Amino acid sequence: MTEDARATTVLLVGAMMVRLALTGAYAKYVRTGMGGVLLAAGILLVALGLAGVARALGFVRSRGDAHGHGHGHGDRAGWLLLGPVLALLLVTPPALGSFGVGRSAAVDVSSGGRTFDPLPAGRTVPMTLLEFDERAADHGGASFGATPVRLTGFVTPASDRTGFRIARYQIACCAADAVAAVVRVTGTTGNTPARDQWVTVTGTFQRSADGVPELRATSLGEITAPRDPYE
Amino acid sequence: MPPVPTPASSPEAPPADAAASGRRPRGAGLPLVTALIVAAVVLRPVLTGLLGHPAVANWATVFVAITIQALPFLVLGVAVSASIAAFVPPGLIARLLPKRPALAVPAAAVAGAALPGCECGSVPVAARLVSIGVTPAAALAFLLSAPAINPVVLVSTAVAFPGRPAMVLARFLASLAASVVMGLLWIALGRDDLIKPRRPHDAGDGPRLAVFLSTAQHDFLQAGGFLVIGAGTAATLQTLVPRTIVDSVAGTGPLSLLVLGVLAVVVALCSEADAFVAAGLKQFSLTARLAFLVVGPMVDVKLFALQAGTFGTRFAWRFSLATFAVAVACAGLVGWWLL
Repeated sequence: MTEDARATTVLLVGAMMVRLALTGAYAKYVRTGMGGVLLAAGILLVALGLAGVARALGFVRSRGDAHGHGHGHGDRAGWLLLGPVLALLLVTPPALGSFGVGRSAAVDVSSGGRTFDPLPAGRTVPMTLLEFDERAADHGGASFGATPVRLTGFVTPASDRTGFRIARYQIACCAADAVAAVVRVTGTTGNTPARDQWVTVTGTFQRSADGVPELRATSLGEITAPRDPYE
Repeated sequence: MPPVPTPASSPEAPPADAAASGRRPRGAGLPLVTALIVAAVVLRPVLTGLLGHPAVANWATVFVAITIQALPFLVLGVAVSASIAAFVPPGLIARLLPKRPALAVPAAAVAGAALPGCECGSVPVAARLVSIGVTPAAALAFLLSAPAINPVVLVSTAVAFPGRPAMVLARFLASLAASVVMGLLWIALGRDDLIKPRRPHDAGDGPRLAVFLSTAQHDFLQAGGFLVIGAGTAATLQTLVPRTIVDSVAGTGPLSLLVLGVLAVVVALCSEADAFVAAGLKQFSLTARLAFLVVGPMVDVKLFALQAGTFGTRFAWRFSLATFAVAVACAGLVGWWLL
């Protein structure tokens, strides 16, 4: 790579990271807490790239620059960094969808063997799919009582006789380590929403014969994908 | 599908470069930006159509996710590496380590605890250590131990395995033991000539800031390029091989250690996150899951690409295979003792 190609590549990668961090689009790929880290790393890379551009243009001259550059070998692999940059600029890969639900490892619902407090009665409790599954695994779902809960997830295909399933991924670091929590929804009328459609369902927990945590729905609404698609 | 931003909506990069490179006829910056714009026009409909296939979309998401997740750690590793090149007097680190390689190896392995990050960051640092004259065995022990025993990784392991502090201790001990064993093995059997020599440019002179900047740029591009290869490989394997395949071989025997060891190589998780996945692999014994946690930070497809790019392919094959065997053995022994 020539000197200004290297500087340009570093600058492009840095700009991509800054943009991902500032627009919040990064939440499709890594966990939300990493925004600040991405921003910091992106700013460092932009600075590094700008310094390289300044040097390539001849604004800055120093003895150390005079030799050792321009040998293409050794950093030829650097061109490959344009791959993810292009992918993000051109198509923006979507958040993980139902394709991987049946293929990922099972979510850990034991929550360290803890016993959940009963849900407060008299109001609808919003809940993650993971917590729903964990509560369902704890003493057969005793902590639910009759309290209605509200879940948000995307529709994932299954061959159930009744109802349909929704899922949502938990990620610890990035989408590569995603595991899905799955809940079956029954009691809805009308057509089942399309695969990968995001929905919000309200209903009550119900024991199922096959062990898949089940929600008996009283209302179902289709929504657009949330900003942070993971739990 | 969310609205797709056009290249022009990334205001920071292309205009600055287009303007910058325009004044310099010989450089590659202008052709690069031109190529990007042409690619945007030509490829976008094709790629958008491809993403209609769920498997392709899954691949693209995992590929981008692994790259994005690893880049901050790579930046940290590159910054440390470039700082050593620019600001640490030559020979200082080699002098700080014990003279005898057999003592330098454990010292370097323990020093790995001081680099908080995942495996991508430790490769450029280890390469830098070799290039400034640290005995390769010690640098390799550092390379293996740093991503596994630093406090961030140990804390995330403790969080992923609530009520099982033995798991944290076992991970620490097995990883440290595997690193030291590999360092000592390298002294006994290794051939330093397998490690690709660094380019003379790395011994750069001149103002320190200039050395820092050019080293950082060089290391970032080299490691980053191979990171992209590794991320692509891991995404391909994750998309083609369903993780549920490991369910069919669940068990407690030595086979399960190997299976989870291979799984760790294939899925190439960040060492700060792998404990959460291991916690979910409930059908396996704790010892088998320990093998997953010990192998993952030391050998995986992403790391292999980074090592091959940094030290050479011949080195990476031998080193990765030996490390895999040693890591599984250490996990088995420590697991049998503690878990």
